[in-house]
Amino acid sequence: MKDIYLDYQSAKPVDPRVVEAMHPYFTEKYGNPSALHHVGDVATDALEESRKSIARFINADEDEIIFTSGATEAINTALIGYAVRNRSKGNHIIISEVEHISIHNIAKQLERMDFEVTKVPVDQYGRVSVSKLERRIKDETILISIGYASNEIGTIQPIREIGKLAEEKGIAFHSDAVAAEGLVPIDVKRDGIHLMALSSNDIYGPKGLGVLYMRKKYRVNPLIIGGGQERGIRSGSEDVASIVGMKAAAEIMEKEMPAEVKRFAGYRDKMIKQILEEVPDSYLNGHPTERLASNTHVRFDGIEGESILLSFKDKGIAISTGSACTSKTLEPSHTLIATGLLHEEAHGSLQITTGRFNTDDDIDRALEAIPEIVTRLRKLSPIYKPRTV
Amino acid sequence: MKSTKYSEKVLDHFRNPRNVGTLEGDDVAVGRVGNPTCGDIMELFIKIDGDKITDAKFRTFGCGSAIATTSMTTEMVKGMTLDEAMELTRKDVADELDGLPPIKMHCSNLAADALHEAIKNYRRERGEEVPDESESVKEEVECLVGKDAFLGKGVYESVENVDDFKDLRTLVLYSGDESVDIAINLTEVTDRVILLTPDETLVLNPDLAERLARSSVKKLYQSRLLEVRGEFEVEKALIKNLDEDEDYEMFIDAVIIID
Repeated sequence: MKDIYLDYQSAKPVDPRVVEAMHPYFTEKYGNPSALHHVGDVATDALEESRKSIARFINADEDEIIFTSGATEAINTALIGYAVRNRSKGNHIIISEVEHISIHNIAKQLERMDFEVTKVPVDQYGRVSVSKLERRIKDETILISIGYASNEIGTIQPIREIGKLAEEKGIAFHSDAVAAEGLVPIDVKRDGIHLMALSSNDIYGPKGLGVLYMRKKYRVNPLIIGGGQERGIRSGSEDVASIVGMKAAAEIMEKEMPAEVKRFAGYRDKMIKQILEEVPDSYLNGHPTERLASNTHVRFDGIEGESILLSFKDKGIAISTGSACTSKTLEPSHTLIATGLLHEEAHGSLQITTGRFNTDDDIDRALEAIPEIVTRLRKLSPIYKPRTV
Repeated sequence: MKSTKYSEKVLDHFRNPRNVGTLEGDDVAVGRVGNPTCGDIMELFIKIDGDKITDAKFRTFGCGSAIATTSMTTEMVKGMTLDEAMELTRKDVADELDGLPPIKMHCSNLAADALHEAIKNYRRERGEEVPDESESVKEEVECLVGKDAFLGKGVYESVENVDDFKDLRTLVLYSGDESVDIAINLTEVTDRVILLTPDETLVLNPDLAERLARSSVKKLYQSRLLEVRGEFEVEKALIKNLDEDEDYEMFIDAVIIID
């Protein structure tokens, strides 16, 4: 039987149409955009066309797009670069409890650099409370960073309200949009976002490329110094082939997103409904409606996530969990803990994320496997006690 | 090594665990180790004839290596004398499974500990001297930090209107039948109600016990609320797990404390 991939949040295949668009830029159109001769001009044109396309994808202006080596670099540049450049205005930064781990780790680094970081809590569905955020703003606050949607539980944040608040208070607003891109229409002007990170792979482009959106007047200090490419914000000769790939990915996404999101939402709603109905003592993690179309996140009483993952692996199905046993630190997911779950509940969570190349059959096979796997592991478990109904 | 990169032997014991279940009788001893916070709990049952282990069974909540190590331990101990079994180490079990990923060596290879616990329990029951390493129970001082500061800001001493708790993660401290009744009623307006008690179990009248069992109230036994935390209003509870003597934070929105 064919293997089934249901972990699109962790990595996506590059769309074959994207690979095709990239091809000429490896061997025929190999020039350096900084070179002034005709070979360089070909690369410059490709680079600037791509910048325009990607800007359009998020309703930005083309001179607000900085190419980086990935979303992680874009986030580092946005947070550290902005904080350092604006230290004279204040040293206080606000993030949420449910940010991607990279933001939590950058926040620790900022603390080591004598910035003060405050974390705003979320409700039981993982949503940031705008009023709680507002009460944490001080005179020294220079930057708010809230992810567009959670990469784990798929909860979409009230971005426009946060953007509006930041605008009113004159504070820069950064949003890590990696989990949301390609699944919700992003419009940096409407949403009031000043700094934003995107990843190429998350819209089926090549890995190793990201974008920092930087609104005019929200300049950052560069982290990588060199020949002054990308207006000095990110030096190093541009990876034109990958950039052309991301352009192709963005253009495909613009056209196909509405139908695709509808299809994923169908998968998601079917999975959530069927799992909660068929498996006793199972619960939904994250928001019931304000959630990414691709995200199904459930937990089961009395069993542990890595065991679930291994059991799926045996059936050729790739999924993810909130369990500590699969993480590098052996800590349970900070996002699940922030929604109020106990450690053992976080351990028993299962994350399924669908994507472009999934079929109805993939969903059915996963759904067929779940009750059997849960039942088997519960039989082994000393702590599972069914709720008497 | 990736945490899920296991040897074939580990995977075999995970897929087909040997000796799953429990044992009963005067000649049976149980060892229980781990805690759900770490993600592993193991129960190992051994049947003893004279000084020989004649049978072994187990139940495990945990990751792949937790299941495999307990399964393997039950296989290894059958036929051993109690003294031999006391000598069995975590490393012996891991070696027999052709190794474990380094990150798993400590956290989930507790099966040997469960075995030793079972043997000690058996010997203790027979009045034998068992060297005791820990077990000095510290007296708990009843003290809740932050209660007064957060009164009206998420800490409640009574419930006038359940709708005030709509969608709030609410912690109810057990203080008798009324507190249980409140916890059950709150499930009408919120998915998340946690009933906290320092005891190992709740002694309730049968009717209330059944209503509680049917409800979605999450019970937290052997736990004590140490501190209410938050900025401006209740956001977190610092809770002590009395069994493990460990403190941890839980994100909540409201606390109900009825005297």
